Amino acid sequence: MTPFDTRGLKRRRFKDKIFTSIVWGLTFSCLLVVFIILFYIFKKGIGSINWALFTQGPKPVGELGGGISNAIVGSLMVVVVAALFAIPMGVSVGIYLADNRGKKWAERVAIAVDVLQGIPSIVIGIVIYIWIVKPVGSFSSLSGSVALAIMMLPPIIKNTEETLVLIPNTLKEASLGLGASYFKTTMKILLPTGIGGIFGGCIIGIARITGEVAPLLFTAFGNPAMVKSIFKPVDTVPKVIFAYASSPYDDWRRIAWGGSLILVVFIILLNAIIKLFERKWKVQF
Amino acid sequence: MKNSILKTLTLAGVLVIGLSSCGNGGDKSTDQNAANDADKQILGAGSTFGNPIYTKMFSEYGKTSGIQTNYQSIGSGAGVKQLMNKLVDFGASDAFLSNKEDSACSAKVVEFPTCLGAVVISYNLPENPALKLTPEVLSDIFLKKITKWNDKKIAEVNEGVKLPDMDITVVHRSDGSGTTYIFTDYLSKVSDDFKSTVGKGKDVKWPEGEIGEKGNEGCAGFIKQTSGAIGYIELTYALQNNFTSASLKNAAGNFVTPTLESASLCANGDIPADTRISIVNSNVDQAYPISSFTWVLLYKEQNYNNRSKDKATNLVKELWWMIHEGQAQAKPLNYAPLPAKAVAAAEGVLKSVTYGGQPILQ
Repeated sequence: MTPFDTRGLKRRRFKDKIFTSIVWGLTFSCLLVVFIILFYIFKKGIGSINWALFTQGPKPVGELGGGISNAIVGSLMVVVVAALFAIPMGVSVGIYLADNRGKKWAERVAIAVDVLQGIPSIVIGIVIYIWIVKPVGSFSSLSGSVALAIMMLPPIIKNTEETLVLIPNTLKEASLGLGASYFKTTMKILLPTGIGGIFGGCIIGIARITGEVAPLLFTAFGNPAMVKSIFKPVDTVPKVIFAYASSPYDDWRRIAWGGSLILVVFIILLNAIIKLFERKWKVQF
Repeated sequence: MKNSILKTLTLAGVLVIGLSSCGNGGDKSTDQNAANDADKQILGAGSTFGNPIYTKMFSEYGKTSGIQTNYQSIGSGAGVKQLMNKLVDFGASDAFLSNKEDSACSAKVVEFPTCLGAVVISYNLPENPALKLTPEVLSDIFLKKITKWNDKKIAEVNEGVKLPDMDITVVHRSDGSGTTYIFTDYLSKVSDDFKSTVGKGKDVKWPEGEIGEKGNEGCAGFIKQTSGAIGYIELTYALQNNFTSASLKNAAGNFVTPTLESASLCANGDIPADTRISIVNSNVDQAYPISSFTWVLLYKEQNYNNRSKDKATNLVKELWWMIHEGQAQAKPLNYAPLPAKAVAAAEGVLKSVTYGGQPILQ
């Protein structure tokens, strides 16, 4: 009996090669799709990028030009307010889950977060419409923010939890053992140590909601005017893309491509920031 | 160092909250101005078909009056729904309220036409021949009884046109649509067969094997890309896409090509006081048979939800402007302006709108 059968080995190596090439091939085709999409959006959108796009409001049909300044400001407003709601709440839930791993209630909360992640965004929009828009009696950017905040929660919670779990328990025990309160331990030891991951989670959350249109259709609604109050209906960039892309007018479709490009560039920038943060402030022990 | 990051972040957060509350504080200090501003902001929603002309009208009206109108094209059905929920000042719909919808409203809703549009039959055939269609042939095509372009029935009305031996691909709207309502309203009037199998409505059950596309844009896009396709779209979309559209045999027996002029001829008849009238299949000599008004809806009594009288007055004045000076915007955007009788009926409706029981327009 020889130590191994060379013919079998050849066959196994051949199988390995095939498997490797399949993995490479599929990875490549996935990347290819991303690059084709990006290339197409840049190609179509770059011609629409001009100063007016950022500084002017929409123009009615028949008048060429105009921009989406109202929607850019609206999007920023809706997203910033959503982040103000979601980040404190999401980080708190993340801390709770990390502190109470394996406990009955923590498990239930974790399942609830998973379920929340799976709820279609349009459903969240309808729920906020029924909860806030109808009782208050008006569409508002605030109601849109609440809908987006709910969508932001799962990534923030998950990233906070996963980051904090990586921090060795001894660090926490040392702090508590020296007499620091739970509050102080959390604020001065846990959160600063895990800031990279937590911040990353927040940015992922923001990147996730920035392109959403479904939860905003019946909450933030839309508005061709520049709005400064969070209690008024407001336009957002994805909503403008949605409306303009399906119009019969070339000029509106051109603006929709410009808007898509702005959105894509913004999200690529956010992803770059995440990578930067992760590299700089990664939890390492 | 990590602490400083946290501090910077907190500071940024506080700053943002501070700034936003500053903005609110500023609003409050000029309470009176804010109230005036709110009265000058009108919110409307509905018909996607009317969106281009409404945006244009409101932009023009805003320049002279200072009224800021926010019109959102969310579809006829959704527009009516938001009016019922009292979330918008006015709704817009391509179909007038059905009796069922009317009774579902918590208060009396009145409506009036703002302009006219036509639904055209567009197709994609090699060399794009100009086709003539009779109501019977059209109905048979959409019922899938005629499935080939060179069918004898189509050839009979199109003598001399070389019809290809191709399958007909029928495309219709997949979403609830005012366009579908107008088209099925017409087919139900001209064909008993269609009336009993499909019927009229914003959303109907089409025969199996037809293609559904979302929005006028979806249908137009499908026709553009599919050889052998036929579908119904609003006139504007056909013109914007340079489609050839079929001439239809109207009730008077003439084949009429869809144009603004031939569509508006439908509306020359008498208009009832509540303006709820279907004008498809008109028997006017040269009228294109599939045309319709598009309506704006509002509550007859404007004193609801703590609305101010100023706001109600601004709204009614703006709507009044739409049916008069605003009509000049129609033709450049491929809509037909209202005929005189329709304007008179719309005036009557607007004069009936009240605030606290008193008519708003004197």
